[in-house]
Amino acid sequence: MSLHADIDASKLPDFSYEFRSPLWWGIVGLMTVEGTVVATLIASFFYLQGNHAAWPPAGTSPPELLLPTLSTVVLLASMVPVYLTDKAFKRGDPKPLAWMPLVSIALALVFLGIKAYEYASHVDFRWDTHAYGSIVWLMIGFHSAHVIAVILKTLVILYLARRRYFTPEKRIAVTVNGLYWYFVAAAWIPLYLTIYLGSRIWS
Amino acid sequence: MTDLASIHHDEETQQLERTWSSPPGFFAWFTHVNQTNIGMRFIVTGFVFFILGVILALLMRLQLAVPDNDFMDPETYNQVFSMHGITMMFLFAIPVMEGFAVYIIPLMLGTRDMTFPRLNAFGYYIYLIAGVMMYAALLLKIAPDAGWFSYPPLAGAGFSPGLGLDFYTTVITFMEISALVAAIEIIATIFKCKVPGMSLNRMPIFVWAMLVMSFMIVFALPPLVIASLMLALDRMAGMHFFTAASGDPILWQHLFWFFGHPEVYIIFIPALGMISSIIITFTQRPIFGYIPIVLSIVAIGFIGFGLWVHHMFTAGLPQLGSNFFTASSAMIAIPSGVQIFCWIATLWGSKPKLDTPLLHVLGFFLIFIIGGLSGVMVASVPFDMQAHDTYFVVAHFHYVLIGGAVFPLLGGLYYWYPKFTGRMMNERLGKIGFWVTFAGFNLTFFPMHKLGLDGMPRRVYTYLDGLGWNEANLFISISSAVLALGFLLTLANALISLKRGKTAGDNPWNADTLEWATSSPPPSYNFRHIRIVDSRYPLWSGTGGLEQNPVVTGIRSDRREILLTSILESHPEARQPLPGPSPWPFWLAIATALTFAGLMVHMAIPLLGFLLCFIAITGWIWPKQLGAAK
Repeated sequence: MSLHADIDASKLPDFSYEFRSPLWWGIVGLMTVEGTVVATLIASFFYLQGNHAAWPPAGTSPPELLLPTLSTVVLLASMVPVYLTDKAFKRGDPKPLAWMPLVSIALALVFLGIKAYEYASHVDFRWDTHAYGSIVWLMIGFHSAHVIAVILKTLVILYLARRRYFTPEKRIAVTVNGLYWYFVAAAWIPLYLTIYLGSRIWS
Repeated sequence: MTDLASIHHDEETQQLERTWSSPPGFFAWFTHVNQTNIGMRFIVTGFVFFILGVILALLMRLQLAVPDNDFMDPETYNQVFSMHGITMMFLFAIPVMEGFAVYIIPLMLGTRDMTFPRLNAFGYYIYLIAGVMMYAALLLKIAPDAGWFSYPPLAGAGFSPGLGLDFYTTVITFMEISALVAAIEIIATIFKCKVPGMSLNRMPIFVWAMLVMSFMIVFALPPLVIASLMLALDRMAGMHFFTAASGDPILWQHLFWFFGHPEVYIIFIPALGMISSIIITFTQRPIFGYIPIVLSIVAIGFIGFGLWVHHMFTAGLPQLGSNFFTASSAMIAIPSGVQIFCWIATLWGSKPKLDTPLLHVLGFFLIFIIGGLSGVMVASVPFDMQAHDTYFVVAHFHYVLIGGAVFPLLGGLYYWYPKFTGRMMNERLGKIGFWVTFAGFNLTFFPMHKLGLDGMPRRVYTYLDGLGWNEANLFISISSAVLALGFLLTLANALISLKRGKTAGDNPWNADTLEWATSSPPPSYNFRHIRIVDSRYPLWSGTGGLEQNPVVTGIRSDRREILLTSILESHPEARQPLPGPSPWPFWLAIATALTFAGLMVHMAIPLLGFLLCFIAITGWIWPKQLGAAK
């Protein structure tokens, strides 16, 4: 037998980050799946619109723009601390990771608060009023559930970070959590455009 | 370069065994994560559901054997034919193909496990829970009864009160998570875990096929998930996605078939990969046209998304749109044809060994070509208008699905069985089983073409005497028993060979890919040495075969660890520690099922489920030693 060793893997690192890591591909896969869900929701919105002479249907006023636009700005702003944390941690500075996610979480909670207020008292339709109500409530529900999920996930990361679980090399969990945060915030943009502008352009 | 003595220690082999072994015992069964364990569970469970689906089909044929039969009442018949479709598409075809992928791909790539072993286990439990729930509903006579595609308004709250459709909508919604996580896992594993030297252009065609299947799952299944969730909300929360009042029933058809047509290719493409593997091995020569075959598979993956409206030609859509889908339906014949010609060129003059796996591939050729021809017929709108919802369509898609997927799958079973079990299946019984299945299949489904052209509609629980359908139906019912006998022979063969089959050895077929480079069945760590490959046919290159290859050393054996390589060129990049056995995937599957199925009972249960899912995920990812990495 002439089995022989050509590569000695013990010299390779036992960690990896960004696109070298399987976890990065895993989270990209998850975002692709959920992005397809968002696309399906938006396609359904405009498909249902095609069936109606007026959209939103007669008797329902088009949504107001001020509150949702404000909340969108808040949600987009929540990406900034995520970015700064990630950048600092890559440089080897672990301090922002211990507190900056709290800023993101606070902003996301403000977003959820505005959404709850808006849909509790500022819209004159329910999910079972008509097709428009159904698709809008489903979009809002789908997205809000994701915001809650990413907040919970970030809390776990924050706790582990404070127990010094991560190092600048072993940071893939921080990276993918950040990526998912970007995704949840960015997925809101097409949903916002669809619900708030899409309802107005052809109404 | 180091010689063998310094890299091969028996002590290390034992350590690998300890590190990678799955804990014994009933409760520990729920913690297993090794890809060979989970892959085998998918395959066995898939075939169990196949048997159940066949039994339902036989019950239908019993009912339809004679006119005005009262063996089953209409309500039961509706549940039986709906569950037959749901079983074959959702509980058999996708999971069993994934099972083969999960079991074989890491072996073909030469690695020790998949990238997310716990996710694998989670996907399996989701699937198992979903299947058990559907069959529990059938036993309680509250199974869905509006067909496997459950068109509203029939499937809406108004026309289908009761729990049947609620089971369908909630179970389908969460069951697809199983296929989605498996797909993501397969993609990540193929990208990152090929052995050094296995660049993309040296990857086995089977792996390419599974890669394309996985990408199709990623884009095709989310619309189904969201559509079945919408239908659930329509039924349970009074929403209006598909109601005639404000929503649109046709939207369901679009969303469903945007999934449903790619689904056909999700089943068919892995079968193409199996066929290529079998043809390469049994002709003992490199495949003719590796690149055209790979490109064809990728092309089918794309075109498969542009066909869905041909299921809706009679729904009253604009003519121009229908024409587009007629054209794309015909277009998919091109990449399919390219592959068939490449296979024929490989077989040409090769004096192939006509063993059972190859017989199934040849059976596939004939049956699938007939199914393809009737497919070209129904792809044209005027003909489809005539044949729609008749037994012609039933004949067509059974030719495509059984011919295109089940025959290659059975061929694949005969082919990889020695790897799974260490024993060969009986060749004589295999050949008899093939011919009985092949004859039974054609005798069952070919007459359905005529029955359809004579006007017999699908999904009717009985028919009147004197319509001229009696003889054909009786003939089909008798033939279906022959077909079932064929399947039974294969099943018996598989069971008997488990104990009494000939010992297989590592590589009984003299095949070319890496799964044959380890013992049969593979050890828990798959490979003692991680190899380095230098060709598309690693076990055929060089002179000495198995022993002549350079290997990778330095991967730890005291913990579960795999080698990561770059996507295109497969350069070694890092070592990746993997998580071991854990009960959390099982608990997360329970929590997920509760979240969705809870909708049936009360709107608050999903909220509880959401919380339980969070707890389970946290338990799952929680590090063993916190603070150890200071």
